[in-house]
Amino acid sequence: MVLSPLAGGFDTTWRSRLESLLSSGRGSGADLVEVFLERTDHIGLLAEQDTITSVSPAFGMGAGIRVFRGDRDGFVSTNDLSDAGLLHALEQALGMLGLAPSASAVASFEGLKDLRDFGATKSDWLKRCPEIQEATGTLLEGTAALERHGHHLQARRGSYARDWQEVLVAASDGTFARDIRLHQSLGLNVLAADGDHRAGLGRRYGTSGCPDDLRQWDADGSAQEVCSSAGTMLYADYVEAGQMPAVLANRFGGVIFHEACGHLLETTQVERGTTPFADKVGDLIAHEAVTAIDEGLSDGAFGSLCMDDEGMEPQRTVLIENGVLKRFLSDRAGELRTGHARTGSGRRQGHSFAAASRMRNTFIAAGPHSPDELIASVDQGLYCKSMGGGSVGPTGQFNFAVEEGYLIENGKLTKPVKGATLIGEAKEVMPRISMCANDLELAAGFCGSVSGSIFVTVGQPHIKVDSITVGGR
Amino acid sequence: MDSHSNAQVGANSKSLNPIQLRDRLEQLARGAGINQWDLGASCSTDTSVQVDRGEAKQMKGAQRSAITVRVWNGDGLVGVTSTSDLSDPGLAKALEGARDASAFGNADETPAFSPLATAPLATLEQPIHQPQSILHLLATLKDAERQLLDRHQAIGTVPYNGLAQRSSERLYLNSDGACRHQQLTTASIYLYARAEETGRKPRSGGAVRLAYGASDLDIAGCIDEAAERTISHLDYAPIDTGHYTCVFSPEAFLDLVGAFSSLFNARAILDGVSLSSKESLGQQLAAPFLSIHDNGLNPGNVGASAFDGEGTPTKPLALLEGGVIQHFLHSEATARAFGVAPTGHAGMGSKVSVGPDWFEISATPGSDGGQQGLNHLGEASPLVLIESLSALHAGVKASQGSFSLPFDGWLIQNGQRRSIEAATVAGDIRTLLKGLVGFEGPAKVTPDGLCPHVWVDGLSITGEA
Repeated sequence: MVLSPLAGGFDTTWRSRLESLLSSGRGSGADLVEVFLERTDHIGLLAEQDTITSVSPAFGMGAGIRVFRGDRDGFVSTNDLSDAGLLHALEQALGMLGLAPSASAVASFEGLKDLRDFGATKSDWLKRCPEIQEATGTLLEGTAALERHGHHLQARRGSYARDWQEVLVAASDGTFARDIRLHQSLGLNVLAADGDHRAGLGRRYGTSGCPDDLRQWDADGSAQEVCSSAGTMLYADYVEAGQMPAVLANRFGGVIFHEACGHLLETTQVERGTTPFADKVGDLIAHEAVTAIDEGLSDGAFGSLCMDDEGMEPQRTVLIENGVLKRFLSDRAGELRTGHARTGSGRRQGHSFAAASRMRNTFIAAGPHSPDELIASVDQGLYCKSMGGGSVGPTGQFNFAVEEGYLIENGKLTKPVKGATLIGEAKEVMPRISMCANDLELAAGFCGSVSGSIFVTVGQPHIKVDSITVGGR
Repeated sequence: MDSHSNAQVGANSKSLNPIQLRDRLEQLARGAGINQWDLGASCSTDTSVQVDRGEAKQMKGAQRSAITVRVWNGDGLVGVTSTSDLSDPGLAKALEGARDASAFGNADETPAFSPLATAPLATLEQPIHQPQSILHLLATLKDAERQLLDRHQAIGTVPYNGLAQRSSERLYLNSDGACRHQQLTTASIYLYARAEETGRKPRSGGAVRLAYGASDLDIAGCIDEAAERTISHLDYAPIDTGHYTCVFSPEAFLDLVGAFSSLFNARAILDGVSLSSKESLGQQLAAPFLSIHDNGLNPGNVGASAFDGEGTPTKPLALLEGGVIQHFLHSEATARAFGVAPTGHAGMGSKVSVGPDWFEISATPGSDGGQQGLNHLGEASPLVLIESLSALHAGVKASQGSFSLPFDGWLIQNGQRRSIEAATVAGDIRTLLKGLVGFEGPAKVTPDGLCPHVWVDGLSITGEA
């Protein structure tokens, strides 16, 4: 058994331990050594009907050590934060690059810079979050509100997750930064059933850096929204398949850009040769109506962060401006291997993943139109009010599910439809986003990719896609 | 102690010591006034490599440890806490957290120890392999990538690839003396190639292989399958939207059944989110020749667990026979609610999850097995061969029974096959299961189960033609 080294958290007393480690790595011939230390404190709650059925605390710790030599790297993670454990991990990482640990640490490592402590003002965040008693009470308010507002509800669920994370990043280029992150998310889900008709609907809300978030949650309003959608979709017919224009609502409708294009603008995709946009900077890749942005700065947004997981402060990165590709999202390895400058986008789920270029808050900017103008411009098409999840494949082909849809007939919304899946390819669909409305809103989500599952925001105003393949029955 | 181990794991891995851990837990629990507890623990050492056109792309190693501890308080309510900190202070903190959480335990459904937590375990043939050096793994994967790239000039990259090996241990302990322990080594390789011809869209295809050690991996078979799949999709065309007879590959059908496994899940039934109910036992769910068994002990299930999260032994279980529901998957709590024995499909938690192990799908012995002599290459009418399904997390509505999923596959007619450019398949799982036509060819062992090709009538296909 190892002794827990975590009693005091990650403060500057770690400086000498980390400098010794980084010096050893550099002395062994590594171009750059990076250490990511992490402590986590999580709680998950589940309410079903009117009962709390699960209270699941979890806490963890660990380190990820990454060693670069040329454009190659080795990465080792461990739960053992003792000096011996960290040194063993470093030696493994060095060995991956054919480097042998050297006792003759040389002066090529000039030491860590002053700590940039983004967590200094956040030490009370965890204590300010609701205790379990309060959180369970709020969650039960939510499921009770579902009962009040819903009809034919067979199952009602409320879930709450609080993820607290303290990170310390140190690298042999002098990077030394600490942060505390806090993400809270709430979900309400229902299953409505009436005879053979069934509809499962849900909504998730999430923020970062807002300890009081749960206290400000409008449980009744959220429940009304979910129940209204479930009631509408319970008796909806399945959508008829085909090619048609589509209007996608704001907020989580932004998953289309996230899946269809956002992933293809990460340098991890450039490295793999799986993006069609690799050599298109400066080219028109989307309709001129489209300007798209990724940033980590919006106050309280799920994908916001004070520093990325490589210790760099985030930026507001304009990806596409009036249809022209401007930049890629890049991390340390992406800059090394593709030449695209870092954008503060190096992100990872935790210490067991190496950072990679990932999205933060990603959205299509507002346009000049009203949402009604977009709908009025469609003779026969699909209105996607609420989107489910989606994915993008290695050839740029994307797909995502429509959770709540309506037919558009002669410029007006008519009957609800379910079972739609939108598929296409980024190169083809981006030029078809021809209208953007003036009602930009963001929505919290989770994104799973090469460096694990991370907190992100998607967003957009209402947008119109001139033609897209709608899978249905 | 029930131990399921054949040798020591790799020299670099940290071993769990069941006796030491149990003694430590007992001491800490006694000090905290906790009389009833159980614990699941795991630790593993992983190494993996990825390559990119002959160069190392990333090499990774990981040492992981985790425990989940449950305690029962004086009122009999259960609390749980998980941690990656196996130090004494970490264990003490976990016990304390679990005791605090037990104040919010669900009085309506309190888990208990599995009555089978000390029952004998099946013997699994799982040879323990010594790990290969990561540089050896790298050389192996570089060679595999080169061979795949050499198969066809259109294959330009293998953007998703990996060769990994793992040494792991699992433990289950409880305060009544149950002590389960399993050691395991596994290895995997996946190769996912991307091919592109001038003026045409890029296409991709891949394959995966599992084994108990890197030296046992069928790398040549993985290369062959990845190459064949990728090359076979180069000549593609859009498909007309419509209803087609579909032939699911074993992998695709197993994916679909897995996505709708809540049909057989007692936890989902009790929660009201399954299409089945308690009364569904004995009812006809599928065509009268379909059998679905869950059998984590099948020798094809590389990395099988000898026991579940509650210490219940893994065992075969008939879910469907002749299309009729025979049994559900259970944890201790759901089994108690149904008045049956736990089946070995539990996770661990304050609310215990239930999930399948490994499916065996076949014709029911004694049935006609559906339509005989099916051969998709011999059909005069157009049919769709579905090779693999995508985005199951988004396109399957398990509680509604509906699915709408992108897929890779071919349109086949008169022995000729042509890759489908982009399409989705949609339907209702109950209609699909009742509309099975029959099976084609021998059952194939896949990472998720055993299954032949499966024919289904009248599924909705949306294409871009």
